[in-house]
Amino acid sequence: MYQMRLPPWLVLLLPAFVILLAVVAIPLVLSLYSSFTAFQLTRPETITRWIGTFNYGKAMGDANFWAAFGRAVLLLTLALNLEMLLGLGLAVMVAKVTLGQRLLRTMMMFPMMFSPILVGFQFKFIFNDNVGLLNNALQSLGLTDVAIPWLVDGNLAFLAIVAAEVWTSTSVFAILILAGIFAIPQDPVEAARVDGCTPWQTFRYVTLPFLMPFIYIAMAIRSLDVARAYDIVQVMTAGGPARRTELLWTLIGRTGYVDARMGYANAMGYIAILLSIVFTVYFFRKLTTARTSLGMGD
Amino acid sequence: MKTFAASSALALLAGLGLASGALADGEYAGVTIDAKLIGGQQYEALYARIPEWEAKTGAKVNIVSQKNHFELDKEFKADIAAGAITWCVGSNHSSFAPQYPQLYTDLTPLLPAETIAGFVPANIEAATLDGKLVMLPRAQFDVSALYYQKSLYTDPAKAEAFKAKYGYDLAVPETWDQFRDQAMFFADPPNFYGTQYAGKEEGIAGRFYEIVVANGGKMFNDDFSPAFNSPEGKMALQWFVDLYKAGAVPPGTTNYLWDDLGNGFASGTIALNLDWPGWSGFFNDPAASKVAGNVGVAPAPKGAAGVRTGWSGFHGFSVTEACANKEAAASLVDFLTNEDSQALESAAGPLPTRTAVWDKVIADAASDPYKAEVLAAFQETAKTAFPVPKTPYWIEATNLIYPELQAAILGDKTVDEALQTASDAVDSLMRENGVY
Repeated sequence: MYQMRLPPWLVLLLPAFVILLAVVAIPLVLSLYSSFTAFQLTRPETITRWIGTFNYGKAMGDANFWAAFGRAVLLLTLALNLEMLLGLGLAVMVAKVTLGQRLLRTMMMFPMMFSPILVGFQFKFIFNDNVGLLNNALQSLGLTDVAIPWLVDGNLAFLAIVAAEVWTSTSVFAILILAGIFAIPQDPVEAARVDGCTPWQTFRYVTLPFLMPFIYIAMAIRSLDVARAYDIVQVMTAGGPARRTELLWTLIGRTGYVDARMGYANAMGYIAILLSIVFTVYFFRKLTTARTSLGMGD
Repeated sequence: MKTFAASSALALLAGLGLASGALADGEYAGVTIDAKLIGGQQYEALYARIPEWEAKTGAKVNIVSQKNHFELDKEFKADIAAGAITWCVGSNHSSFAPQYPQLYTDLTPLLPAETIAGFVPANIEAATLDGKLVMLPRAQFDVSALYYQKSLYTDPAKAEAFKAKYGYDLAVPETWDQFRDQAMFFADPPNFYGTQYAGKEEGIAGRFYEIVVANGGKMFNDDFSPAFNSPEGKMALQWFVDLYKAGAVPPGTTNYLWDDLGNGFASGTIALNLDWPGWSGFFNDPAASKVAGNVGVAPAPKGAAGVRTGWSGFHGFSVTEACANKEAAASLVDFLTNEDSQALESAAGPLPTRTAVWDKVIADAASDPYKAEVLAAFQETAKTAFPVPKTPYWIEATNLIYPELQAAILGDKTVDEALQTASDAVDSLMRENGVY
């Protein structure tokens, strides 16, 4: 009897293929398929109701969707830049510390250990207009006598969310940049000093170029996180009021799970993925350029 | 009183008789009922009675999930989508029930007619969807009444100033117009506000709905096309806008939900508060509330049509269509909503849904003036209460409506623009789903 024998390399790779297929490929294909159907969670039979590109057309023509998309881009830009600047500052300062540096590094990571839901509640309380910490402090200090509606005013609410994001994730940048600082070869730095560079010139033209690959890696990782920002925003404002802080994933989450319109939510999700792809490609290009200029590239 | 005690003892005996008749010893021996029940302190005391039912029937109850209703709702939807209805009994709520048209079975053939007759008829009517009794209500009936700070109405200086400004005597408001005047009058931001309202999601959509009805309008036409973009609807939304513009509500009110409202009134910074019965004990508890001892409770005010607001809902238990042993499951649901169960739950404050238990809690409260005032106000409001519109798209429609209400309140849109946008969005939702 003929017995089919698979080549050994395939046999060895098969478990990996099966797992990837089960946890990545099948859900992706299924969600992509359902985005072309009228699938509603509460009516399972609707998964076979093919409606072509109706969901995509609807999302493309929906002003609320594009407003959320634009807001997500703005959040990405603002939060990433602030986190980068603060993280860089923090890392440079911590690198200078000689006594208790290990303790400082551990403390720096504390915000990352909190669950985003908890961070959301914490900042929601801080920014509450009536009983919140911030308004009470401002009123007690005599800086204002009105209740500032932090989570209601569109701009203030957006900044409140940025503040929460920055608080929780600046340390991601700080840790990665700190690793970069430790990896910098000392020769160029010393050479710059011998040549009479000021500390700023040394930092700007020697240290920073060495750190850029680390910064871009942190940016790429965080851009994926922020593009999917959901929990903190959901807890703090749930995208409201009046859609003023609606982001892609608060909108998609509500459409999929509360309104049960999973087909439409998946279509919006697939359009949203473009955002992550664009940012990731951008940061990887930057990373390659930075590495090439350091002579690290291929 | 004596007569009442005797008659209620008789009723209790009759109830027990019925119960033991329905629950034959060991009738369901070997049966296991998987249940997904609402969790949370105020709901869980009832579940301590389950072992009693297990001992009586020989069946076992296996609680496979215990979460709040919003989480359960998501879980039910995921179960339906996955075809994984492997459980028998689920917690349900009148506002959520229309969303799962195929999930739950009709309880009418599974229960004796006299069991169903023991419930408040309006509750049974609200639990009946497309002719199917999809749940039995537990003693968690919700309608909102008016809580207020009594001291505001005993201050002669305030009474005089109010009359001079508005031309009528200051008294606990009976209409929503009076409520608006008084909320504006009492407000002294940022330290004290006239009132507050739930400002997002179903919270504000529900409040808007009940004021539309109180003004003589309706949310939907008979074919479920939107009907709230009407003079009554505009009047209702204007009420929210006026209060916000006048600074009579906290500026963050558009982000508030029930906990924020309850804690706000208990903090002593709110004059008038339309709220649920579950808060009555908390508001009058000196350890938790700064207004304890100063809380008055009145029936919900009336709208322009002379109709009281009365958006109501209740928790209940349902049996799934996929359940292998529906009789046993229905027996459990019956047990969890019978007179003893309702007496136990309503003793802690929530309102019952059985006529006999209503009589009992009112009689029990006779010696406690605050409790008697609470029950009288809620019973009066409950008389004309109404459930949410019976469409599976209610929650989805509220998700389209509330951001527009918020936009009008915050001044991003006019009342006309906001209602037009909301009405168009709901109209296309209904059309997309083939409702008409």
